[in-house]
Amino acid sequence: MKKHSMKAFAALLSVLLLPNIAPATSMVRADNEVVLRVCNWEEYIDEGDWDEEEDLIDLESGDIIGENSMVEDFEEWYYETTGTKVRVEYSTFGTNEDLYNMLTLGDVYDLVCPSEYMIMKLMAEDKLQPLSDEFFDESNEYNYYINGVSPYIRNIFETHEINGEKWSRYAAGYMWGVTGFVYNPDVVSREEASTWHLMDNEDFAHQVTVKDNVRDTYFAAVGAVKSDLLLSESFRNDPNYAMNLQDEMNDTSPEMIQEIQDYLQSTKNNLYSFETDSGKADMITGKVVANLQWSGDAVYTLDQADEDDFYLEFAVPNEVTNVYFDGWAMLKCGVEGNPERQKAAEAFINFVSRPDNAIRNMYYIGYTSVISASEDGRIFEYLDWNYGAEEDEENTVDYSVAMFFASEDDDPEDYVLTVPEEQLRRQLAAQYPSEDVLHRASIMVYFNEEVSRSTNQMWINIRCYNIKNVPIWGWALAFFVIAFLISYAIRKKKESR
Amino acid sequence: MKFSRKVLGIPYAVFLLLFVVAPLLVLFYYAFTNGDGQFTISNLTGFFTDPNALGTLCYSFALSFVTTLLCLFLAYPTAYFLATSKIKAKSVVIMIFVMPMWINFSLRITALKEILDAIEGNLSAYPFLNSVLGMTYDFLPFMILPIYNVIVKLPVSLTEAARDLGATPWRAFVHVTLPMSVPGIVSGVSMVFLPAMTNYVVLDMLYNSTYIMGSLIGSYFSNDNWNGGSMIALILLLIICLFTLFSNTLEADDSSVRGGALL
Repeated sequence: MKKHSMKAFAALLSVLLLPNIAPATSMVRADNEVVLRVCNWEEYIDEGDWDEEEDLIDLESGDIIGENSMVEDFEEWYYETTGTKVRVEYSTFGTNEDLYNMLTLGDVYDLVCPSEYMIMKLMAEDKLQPLSDEFFDESNEYNYYINGVSPYIRNIFETHEINGEKWSRYAAGYMWGVTGFVYNPDVVSREEASTWHLMDNEDFAHQVTVKDNVRDTYFAAVGAVKSDLLLSESFRNDPNYAMNLQDEMNDTSPEMIQEIQDYLQSTKNNLYSFETDSGKADMITGKVVANLQWSGDAVYTLDQADEDDFYLEFAVPNEVTNVYFDGWAMLKCGVEGNPERQKAAEAFINFVSRPDNAIRNMYYIGYTSVISASEDGRIFEYLDWNYGAEEDEENTVDYSVAMFFASEDDDPEDYVLTVPEEQLRRQLAAQYPSEDVLHRASIMVYFNEEVSRSTNQMWINIRCYNIKNVPIWGWALAFFVIAFLISYAIRKKKESR
Repeated sequence: MKFSRKVLGIPYAVFLLLFVVAPLLVLFYYAFTNGDGQFTISNLTGFFTDPNALGTLCYSFALSFVTTLLCLFLAYPTAYFLATSKIKAKSVVIMIFVMPMWINFSLRITALKEILDAIEGNLSAYPFLNSVLGMTYDFLPFMILPIYNVIVKLPVSLTEAARDLGATPWRAFVHVTLPMSVPGIVSGVSMVFLPAMTNYVVLDMLYNSTYIMGSLIGSYFSNDNWNGGSMIALILLLIICLFTLFSNTLEADDSSVRGGALL
């Protein structure tokens, strides 16, 4: 997480240098060399080159440090364990939609890492290759994913279906998190930041940013519009709370879309901006006082601010939060009919799921790995190393992460950390949300064609200037300008004759 | 093959074919087909019946118009005094105006963002003004240079003759210098007005969340609507063509003063 400028620079360089389109001709180089085309989010994997002094993770069970990039380490590891050479062609994408567009334009990848809704979309379009049975074989020690994945995440992947097929058959989780607000506690109280109504709070006019993407902002707006319902006792205590919550949050009826459009149209002028990537920096420099953020980026923002001795906090709204995943999925266009490559792709998922590698990625990018590896114990140890209170520290609290770590036969008491009290509002709470937060977390399913079209249209309606709003003087001015230009041109013509 | 001067044109012809003509054909194809590849004009009618698309066109025009006026207002006096002054190291002064063009504009806008933030306190309160300032900052050299190039080539004897015949300096300027510098103005205006309609990165960076033509096309593309986006791009292209034709009529027949083009 402590990215230094050098590292960021190296990351930038590598992103610039990496080929965006894998040339089809280079699929097989040497006789038994497998080429694996991986496409992942930008800056979403450990790129190595850590500073030995500052970045070393010195756990009791051994030191962890990223010397080489994860991709290089994988190539080496795969050769050592299987004797097969693999060459990874690693490329990156900026948004889920970019990836989807790249695929529709004919780019071919073997393994991609989009968010859950894009995985659902690809699944529904029959573009994904199911994971093999061997991948789920718990007796194979190299199957780090299935042996290490958190029971909480595993359950979600098992219980959600698209067209009657479970997510878990097609996708393996990578990183996950929830959405919430990063805020400056000097200006915004925790109470004010703990509701989606922060967006339309006039006390903070022009000081709050949200995401420039229809899904995240739609979810946030639904949270605000349905605030009263979501907070009501009767709704909360309903035995089917989880299911009802998911239904409410995925309400995309035309009336709801209209309501959200009205809400966002009026809220737009109260916001600082819709941002794609500037939110983190603006939060750190103090241009804005609160910022809708994914928990992983929230951790990164808080870390960066800490380096400048600027104290920020993270709050998850009381109404509801969006739990999201990024997961590995194999594309049919890449691996179908090529078992060698599929094997390498699955090995890649397993390699990044190895506890020490999961820790490296987490440390590097700030997001939360889906791996809990409770038997191995190193992830929990890392958590304690990262957030645990010093022995002489006062004002500490116990924080349970059992919901994420503990499987059925584990004792939840084993997964309680003693942490400084402030961590309830800071990185730990963002990286490993409390049980309370996870109880009010809802998944956002993918929008089908029709709904996508109406939500995209809604977004355009919000962002575009409507011609009906052009004032009379605007038309008059336009008329005069055009009349002037035309008369000038005519006069000019006459003169020259 | 016998070497002729035509051979020298081949590299550019290839470039043109690959990166201008071919993409244009693709653009045409997409603009007049629907998602299934069938011919349709619904993209065209769709644009002219969509209040948002038309509104965006108006907003882009307004933004470009104000930007161009501000550029002209800043650039003309600068170019005029620069061209008519007697300072020796003119090329050095010109260099100072050209220099910003050597730095990538996104870096310049990032710097501008901090300056505006310091002045205004909160950037998001004046989105339109900020966009205009950002574009002006970006495009000003493109306005100064053509005007300068025209004025510097005007024979001094013309103004002197006007003065000899009793015109005041102001009258001489209005009736001699200004009309003769029109080609420079037209050239400068077209170099500012048209790019300003699509330069949405400036808006993004300065937190103007209203779409202009460029961002509208981008939003169509990112929503996987290549056909609708292509049509808007095509319409924009048409507007550019019309504008160029029009500015050519303004410039034409002024054979005495040529060289309005940049540098």
